Amino acid sequence: MNNDVRARREERGLSQAGLAEEVGVTRQTINSIERGRYDPSLELAFALAAFFECRIEDLFDPDGDEAE
Amino acid sequence: MDRKHRSARRLGTDGWTPMTGIGVGSGGGPGGTSTVSTRRRYRRLLFGSVGLGVAANVALRLLSYPVAAEAAYWVGIVGFLAVWQFSPVQLFDERDAELERRASTLTLVAAAVVLVLGASGARTLGALGVYDAPPFVEGVLYGYVGLFVVFAVAYGWVSWTR
Repeated sequence: MNNDVRARREERGLSQAGLAEEVGVTRQTINSIERGRYDPSLELAFALAAFFECRIEDLFDPDGDEAE
Repeated sequence: MDRKHRSARRLGTDGWTPMTGIGVGSGGGPGGTSTVSTRRRYRRLLFGSVGLGVAANVALRLLSYPVAAEAAYWVGIVGFLAVWQFSPVQLFDERDAELERRASTLTLVAAAVVLVLGASGARTLGALGVYDAPPFVEGVLYGYVGLFVVFAVAYGWVSWTR
C-alpha cells in the first residue's frame, strides 16, 4: 500500500524512532510501513492519522503498492 | 505548546489512547522516557535471561554439575517471566504479532509436510519390508500429531472466544 508517512515524518523533522515513540510501536514497524512492506492495523492507522492531523485516506492509498 | 504535544493531547481528549493494547506502555510519549530504547533494553533482558540460563545449563552439565545446571536454567526462565510480566513498556507491537503469525503458519506447513511424507513413507517402507522405522522416528511423528492436536484445540478455543 502506498503511503505518505515518510514525507510527513520528514516534514516534521522526526526520526523513525521519534515517530515510533509517538504512536507506540517499534522503529522497525515505522520503517516497514514506510517501505510498504507492512500494512498497519486500523488502530495504528488512526494513530498515525491523528498524529499527522489528517485523514487516514490522506496518509494511505490502497490502490498503490510501493513494496521494494 | 508544539505540534507533537498538541497532537498527543488531542488523542487524549478524544478518549482514545494510541496502541494501548499492543504498543504503548507506561513511560513513553511526549516528555516521557524513551519507550523505544526502554523496549529494546527490556527485550534484550528478556531473551538474554533465558539465553544465559540455557547456556549456563549446558556448561554446568558438561562440567558435571547437574543440579546447579537445572538451577541456572530455572533462574533464566524465572528471569524471562519476570521481565515479561513486570516490564514497564510493551515489549512487542503489532508487527511483531504479524511476524509471529506468519512464522507460525510456515512452521505448521513445514510440520505438515514432514508428517504427511514421513508417516506415509514410514508405513510404505515398512509394508514393503524395505525399512523398519525405529521407535524414535515413530515417536517424532506422534509428536507432530500431538502438535496438530494442540493447534486444533487452540484454534477452536480462540474461535469460540472471539
